[in-house]
Amino acid sequence: MVVVRLVNVTKVFRTGVVGVKDINLTVNHKEFMALLGPSGSGKSTTLYLIAGIYRPSSGKIFFDDRDVTNVPPKDRNIGLVFQNWALYPHMRVYDNIAFPLRIKRLPENEIRKKVLETARMLRIEKLLNRYPWQLSGGQQQRVAIARALVKEPDVLLLDEPLSNLDAQLRISVRAELKRLQKKLGITTIYVTHDQAEALAMADRIAVINNGRIIQIGAPEQVYTKPATVFVGGFLGNPPMNFVEGEIIEDKGKLYIVIAGQKIISPTHYEPIVRRRGLRKVIVGFRPEDTMILPECRDRNECVKGMVYAVEPMGREYIVVADLGGELVKAIVPRTLVLTDDQEICLCPSLAKIVLFDPKTEKSLESLAAEKD
Amino acid sequence: MTKTNLFSKIKNFIHSDAFIFLLPAIILIIVFYLIPIVVSVYMSFTPLKNWNIARYIHEFVGFENYWRFLYMVTHDPTVRPIFITTVVFILITLAINVLGGLGLAIATFFMGEREASSTQLLWLLPRMTPIAVYSMIWYYFFHGSEIGTLNSILMSLGIIHNPIDWGQSIIPWGPWMIIIFVNGLVGVSYGMIVFTSAISNIPKELVIAARVDGASNWSITKNILIPLLKWHIVYVTTWQMLSLLTTYDHIFLLVEWGLVNRYYGTTWALYIYNMAFTAAEKDLGLAAATGVILVIVGAILGLLALKILGFEKMVKEPRGDI
Repeated sequence: MVVVRLVNVTKVFRTGVVGVKDINLTVNHKEFMALLGPSGSGKSTTLYLIAGIYRPSSGKIFFDDRDVTNVPPKDRNIGLVFQNWALYPHMRVYDNIAFPLRIKRLPENEIRKKVLETARMLRIEKLLNRYPWQLSGGQQQRVAIARALVKEPDVLLLDEPLSNLDAQLRISVRAELKRLQKKLGITTIYVTHDQAEALAMADRIAVINNGRIIQIGAPEQVYTKPATVFVGGFLGNPPMNFVEGEIIEDKGKLYIVIAGQKIISPTHYEPIVRRRGLRKVIVGFRPEDTMILPECRDRNECVKGMVYAVEPMGREYIVVADLGGELVKAIVPRTLVLTDDQEICLCPSLAKIVLFDPKTEKSLESLAAEKD
Repeated sequence: MTKTNLFSKIKNFIHSDAFIFLLPAIILIIVFYLIPIVVSVYMSFTPLKNWNIARYIHEFVGFENYWRFLYMVTHDPTVRPIFITTVVFILITLAINVLGGLGLAIATFFMGEREASSTQLLWLLPRMTPIAVYSMIWYYFFHGSEIGTLNSILMSLGIIHNPIDWGQSIIPWGPWMIIIFVNGLVGVSYGMIVFTSAISNIPKELVIAARVDGASNWSITKNILIPLLKWHIVYVTTWQMLSLLTTYDHIFLLVEWGLVNRYYGTTWALYIYNMAFTAAEKDLGLAAATGVILVIVGAILGLLALKILGFEKMVKEPRGDI
């Protein structure tokens, strides 16, 4: 049982650069946690803090109830996999995997047993006599994971381990890694800038930006209920659409005016909009939750727009529409025939719309949660 | 047919851009390398003495100078020490240069940035100091009278009561120690710089990974840094060996100033210099023959070192993905 807990962790580098600020994060036993963020957001810094390679400037790190804040990396029993895999180029695969055990001075026959066992698990037992430069990227990556797993770590830390692989391989390794993690049941923290990777593999995702954790939640939750405009824009391909809207009241009902057109405000947002007396909002809606109709007639959740471009993606089309000067995207079935500059009707699914406060860029739900 | 072919090839080369680009280097090599070698080899077959070129230049004595060299080495009791000194000097100084440079590069790798750069600067000082000034410092340090720093320190500590003439009285290790010390200190910085830049090219993740696995500094050094520096060690060893074989500037001053014994403080390269330029009777033919042999020995040693240390493997080994 290992639960990794970061409490108010801040890291300021000697140069004065703030790596991460006030990080609070709990990774449960056997959990696969993804740290997701753009480059320079502090996600790798967080990982290195957990590994003990960096010492926090303030705050504490716990493995279960044990305070490891000042414990050196070697005494934390962690396995670490790097983006470039960091295999020792002068050692054969066998010796690479055996290295952590040799440092621990285990007897050679026990080392042999463990190396073979781990190699078999990762299906690299035929490569043990090769040097790293004789392996493909995917094989090197397996060796790196084997080296991290061979010492049976309490926590597995992965720093963008798939980003040096080509796109095809990345997708196949993704599923394999996820299965392996579930099978071994090791608490795993996985750093990535690839939102698809995080969504596909993680039990929970912590979205990091500018050294702060913005949202922690299950993939589904982070995807459908982004806490900020940033999260909505970072997850999804294509990402969430954002348009400015103005709140008006008409005969006791709330409406949002987008590009001069009125749509009905989602009912679940009514109480908070009224309570805060918001006049302006940012309306977020996902391309796949947006329907396109040839004309609007009298539907009160739709707005008129113009076809700007159509991108055929094979399985579906992405329609880029001009909505009063702003471009938004919608995913439509291939059966829909559209031409450029054609007038169309865009209908975001009301239930799935997310409203954000334009000042803080936070979603109204998360603002409401903050108050309570 | 082939002759005109070759001729037109040369002509083409002279008219090409590559020729203009290489011209300065070609001129330098011809003037400062090829011509001196040809002249030296030619001189070694003449009885040239005291720079009396007009008289001896057309006399040709065959291999006589080489036989004289061989006879001297085997029979002249003043020449033997010079060759023993050369061997001891090169072996020990080389070990100090390579191991010291390696040790310093690795030590500074584990230090903080500021400590590392000041340590390295300190060790570069001997290389930056003019030869005469640097030799002067150690001349006074090892001086045989009570003005010598070493003597006065030992005397004030009460370890010795009379000054010791380090370079003249303790034969042969006194002069050997001094010339090895003075040259070793200069040479360390070369290895240090090569190894430091090589270490900085090792991906830092390799070291972090080993650290996470619990490797100590010594274990990281032994298992990761040194194996990855193998080719740099080969290079520095070969390079330093050849430069020690031909160096004489510091030693020349130390011998000239009387700090070290003339026989056990002179190396082969200095011996040639003295024979040609400072001896009462300047036996240039013999000096040239001795020099030619030195060049041959250097070439053989260089190739041998590369062979033993596996330079071939370095060149042939495929690097990167196949």
